[in-house]
Amino acid sequence: MKKFINNPQNLTRELLEGFAIAHADLVTVKSEKIVTRARKKPAGKVALVTLGGAGHEPALSGFVGKGMLDYSVVGDVFAAPGPPKVIEALRLAKRDAGILFVVLNHAGDVMSANMAAEMATQEGVKFKMLVTHEDIAPGGNAPAEDRRGLVGCIPLYKIAGAAAEAGKSLDEVYAIAQRFNENMATLAVAMKTATHPATGQAIFELAEDEMEIGMGQHGEAGTGPSKIKTADETAELMLSRLLQAIKAKSGDRILLILNGAGATTLMELYIVLRGCKKYLDAQGITLVEARCGEYLTVQEMAGFQMFVAKLDDELIEYWKAPCQTPALTVK
Amino acid sequence: MLNAATEQIRHNHEMLSRLDGAVGDGDHGTTILRAMEAVAKTVAEQKGDELKPLFSAIAWAVMSCDGGSTGPLLGSFFMGLADGAAGKSTFDAPALAALFAAGIGKLHKQSKAQIGDKTMMDAFLPALAALQAAEPSAGPKAALRQAAEAAAQGAEATKNMRAKFGRARNLGDRVIGHPDPGAVSVSLLFKGFSEAL
Repeated sequence: MKKFINNPQNLTRELLEGFAIAHADLVTVKSEKIVTRARKKPAGKVALVTLGGAGHEPALSGFVGKGMLDYSVVGDVFAAPGPPKVIEALRLAKRDAGILFVVLNHAGDVMSANMAAEMATQEGVKFKMLVTHEDIAPGGNAPAEDRRGLVGCIPLYKIAGAAAEAGKSLDEVYAIAQRFNENMATLAVAMKTATHPATGQAIFELAEDEMEIGMGQHGEAGTGPSKIKTADETAELMLSRLLQAIKAKSGDRILLILNGAGATTLMELYIVLRGCKKYLDAQGITLVEARCGEYLTVQEMAGFQMFVAKLDDELIEYWKAPCQTPALTVK
Repeated sequence: MLNAATEQIRHNHEMLSRLDGAVGDGDHGTTILRAMEAVAKTVAEQKGDELKPLFSAIAWAVMSCDGGSTGPLLGSFFMGLADGAAGKSTFDAPALAALFAAGIGKLHKQSKAQIGDKTMMDAFLPALAALQAAEPSAGPKAALRQAAEAAAQGAEATKNMRAKFGRARNLGDRVIGHPDPGAVSVSLLFKGFSEAL
């Protein structure tokens, strides 16, 4: 394994210490693994809380800040944080306005969230839990529990966060977030494996001339390996499936995000994006905004997640509203 | 008993991570080792002989370990043991069966998995059945030995299963031929329990 680390046991603590130094104006770390805003949101507004393992930087804690998250509970590399830390964050966020608790659909995250939610209910914490599961790799008709939560949580934090800043009630913030949740889809593709920084092991195997569509963000298998295709062929193959999943048709307005997995260059993402735009134009679908970059990474894995969501006027307004976080700023 | 179980995991965690590489993300050995080290630490810091507070402290310590679903699941098991141990200090075979029934019952509230779903329940449930079927007169050691054998057989049987839960679920037929590392871990815990008495 070639990585600039110290003792693998201390990865998460050390990365959070560095993260807090780099973004001291925006975030602080509490109780070792809870990332929160440097300047608190007024208590009269709904708070956003999320949880997830480390190793995906800048996700998820890079999106803590004005206009997005209030608390992010960090687990060890690729591992959900345990319920005690999650309940601690829900207690910190507790307020009369309530909490939107966003959970990505992964077995450990959901289990930890459910146990913390049970305790929070007993303690009278007002919250609503929302699970993202926008991966379409298992097929459009697959049950929700089979579909993983991928990069879609990040635009969802953005939209729900903007609604919360605007002073919407918990029911309203939840309804807006849920509408976005139901109209988004992600498909991932991988080309090269990543090394698990704690074990030093490759997280999956792929031959030099192969790619795999549907690969999850911890190397979980997708629809099986295939020969590498060109950027345009890959763009069309993935985008056509995504548009079908969200039932996008001519005249619809969409948001598109190409999220690099860690080792795929911005050059490649731009070339794929160009292919996506050509395909959208041919379908008569309007691209409201496109973003290329690294939002949720998997160490040095090569590949990307392609995300699309159908937007309406209200969702566009919240997507374009200002935010200031370590990993995303909108002015 | 708990320390012997931890010892089993200490000896086998690398093998467990390798097994997980075939069906998951290759860190199960690390995760279960961290959980059992938390158990050992809690046992070492124990004050008094009462079992209920010990199991409660262990449950909280295990749940505080990050590790996908392993922490919450094992934590629930120990929470159940705490409920089952209330007011007891010695266990004959039927009392031991009742104690484990409380632990596994609590765990089953978090995991809906049944036998055949390729999870740790494939080891837990046969072990519980063996404890419940054990002759009361044979004593707790014999009962635990039968439970350990049943857990090992259950873990071995996961080789031929497809997964219905967790990350392995997405792999479909590709996990056939590989045992579930969670079930193997549970069989090692029971091996430790049975050898300790």
